[in-house]
Amino acid sequence: MFSFQIEKIYLDEKAENDWVAQNVLKNLSDLPVERVKDKRSLNKKLLSLSDPIGIGKRNLLITPFYGRRLKPCPGTSSHICCGYHVLNTITNCPMDCSYCVLQGYLNNPFLTLYSNWEDLFREIESFLSSHPQSFLRLGTGELSDSLALDTVFPISPVLIAFFAQRNHAFLELKTKSAEVDHLLHLDHRKRTIISWSLNPPQMIEGEETGTASLEKRIVAAQRCQERGYPLGFHFDPIIFHEGWEKGYQETIGSLFKKIDPKEVVWISLGGFRYPPQLKTIAQERFPNTKIFLGELFPGRDGKFRYLKDIRIEMYQKMVGWLRDVYPGLFIYLCMESKEVWERVLGWAPQNNHHLNQLFEERLKGFV
Amino acid sequence: MKTIQEIPISYIDLTDETFSVNFVPDLRRLRSSIEEIGLTQPVLLRKKHDRYQIICGFRRISIIKQIGGSDILSMVLDEEEMDDLRLFLISLHENLTARGFNTIEKAIALDKLVHQFHLDSVMVVKKYLPLFNLEVDEKILNTYLSLIQMEEEIKIYILKEGVSRTNIRRISNLSPKDRIALLSLISPLKLGENRLREILTFLEEITKRDRLTILEILKRPEIQAVLSHQELTPPQKADRMKKALMGLRYPRMRNMEEKFEKKRKELSLPSNLSLNHLPFFEGKGLKVEFQFETVEGYRTMLSALSKLTDKKEFKEILQST
Repeated sequence: MFSFQIEKIYLDEKAENDWVAQNVLKNLSDLPVERVKDKRSLNKKLLSLSDPIGIGKRNLLITPFYGRRLKPCPGTSSHICCGYHVLNTITNCPMDCSYCVLQGYLNNPFLTLYSNWEDLFREIESFLSSHPQSFLRLGTGELSDSLALDTVFPISPVLIAFFAQRNHAFLELKTKSAEVDHLLHLDHRKRTIISWSLNPPQMIEGEETGTASLEKRIVAAQRCQERGYPLGFHFDPIIFHEGWEKGYQETIGSLFKKIDPKEVVWISLGGFRYPPQLKTIAQERFPNTKIFLGELFPGRDGKFRYLKDIRIEMYQKMVGWLRDVYPGLFIYLCMESKEVWERVLGWAPQNNHHLNQLFEERLKGFV
Repeated sequence: MKTIQEIPISYIDLTDETFSVNFVPDLRRLRSSIEEIGLTQPVLLRKKHDRYQIICGFRRISIIKQIGGSDILSMVLDEEEMDDLRLFLISLHENLTARGFNTIEKAIALDKLVHQFHLDSVMVVKKYLPLFNLEVDEKILNTYLSLIQMEEEIKIYILKEGVSRTNIRRISNLSPKDRIALLSLISPLKLGENRLREILTFLEEITKRDRLTILEILKRPEIQAVLSHQELTPPQKADRMKKALMGLRYPRMRNMEEKFEKKRKELSLPSNLSLNHLPFFEGKGLKVEFQFETVEGYRTMLSALSKLTDKKEFKEILQST
């Protein structure tokens, strides 16, 4: 299992009777537990410490979440997005990537597991029944690594079992972990896509602290493919650095030595991008990071991106290397403009809805 | 026990700076005051062996000596009367009420508390930072402690220009050689805090990406061209320096800008018509801006715009975005 150190559990007293909380306390019975009445002052206390993000990763908060937990992927304005939906089961992540946008967004830095799962299931059911004709894609990888807390509570197995009973809804588990043993024996009915975020080993070592090596991720993907799981891969963020071409080309080479490209549902490409507030935070936490050394400028959505010509060059080369492996790969760009789509792939979706339809078609071919 | 007496300056050990936190003191006002009305407060000394050690009054003693005085009114403590830390705190409090401390003097005082009097840094943060009107924050203490390690000329620049703590922290991350090179680069410019931050950011990122030292950047012709320009004022030099560093930091963007500019010049546009690319070349297309005062001027402008469509350079510039 993915190893990380939780030092303490903070248990919201409203979550005390939830089966999720009881399950976790049983699993982690050797850890100190503090009952929490007032989450706000707990957060305030953590936020006043130096590196609350780092400390938050070692402290688990179990609490109910009464708001909406299934939302359209926030995407970004003025760019083409794919109509994905995100499921909020946990927030924050024990892995520590220098480029992680959560560092700049979360006002609750605790590793947080939401305890009211019945509410979540009800919300998903209601959402699916209101879209009976669609092939919906939902994922847990937006506010955390999808597999990160599976050692604490079997989030992914529970969700895989839930989606296996649905016909038109697909769960995507996005991860940088290699711990998949607990998923291999499950009856997934191809309704769960397990996908890995990939970067060259040099980038993983320097910028993705606490994640599995490239080699281990690929082996884990291979094991899942052998068990019939459809796979996805996300080259996101692609980081423009000295020797990037060699790094990414070799990464693609290593991947398809073990993975059958015909069974890969999708591959996304996304250049490194960041909201303005991230740079100061990340540089403070990762003084040796090199991710901000590229030519990055603010775009129409306020996020910093590589100069358009650099992005196009990176995507064109990546697409070329991927198509050389197997021309039938379904490749899409994440949060990019129509112009960039056209210049990279020779065509562009008319709009977000069109891209969503293309995903539906793709999924139909896999079930 | 304190006694007040006239002590010959020659008996005072002027080299003992145990309790001094002075840094480049401006003695002009104090000197003219002493010259006019004499010393109003005795200095504080401690008997040490057969000489006297200064606790409070380094500046006054220095001035009395400069103006040829031989004795000074002093309050004298016995050798074992108080421990060094207590005496240092007396000196700090007296100076705080009498004159206050500049940035470097605060750094010297904090450094002495931590390294000379061996106080726990957590205690220094909690108890002594507020004494200097500083927030209780370990990072702030570390910033001041890093300042002490810097070269004298850097300290003087920081003091003279009122450099912020954030920028001090960034300067402290540089090697001594890089700091001296930085000084050659920034001294001739007139930099506000924001401009200094921008320049430091460019330098940090270029040195990290290209594995260069600041000295190597300083030697580059585009940087030397700015520094050696005789006619430019310091603020103009600061603007040019920012552009030169930006060009080094963002070479592809600079090339695109230069190509665009070259093509734009080839179009020989009227002075009241400007043609621009979108910000950072993100998105396709051009932006046209023009100004006119009369209907005739408007007609002329439309005609100039219309003629652009026939120009090869215009099509090229449009395609290049």
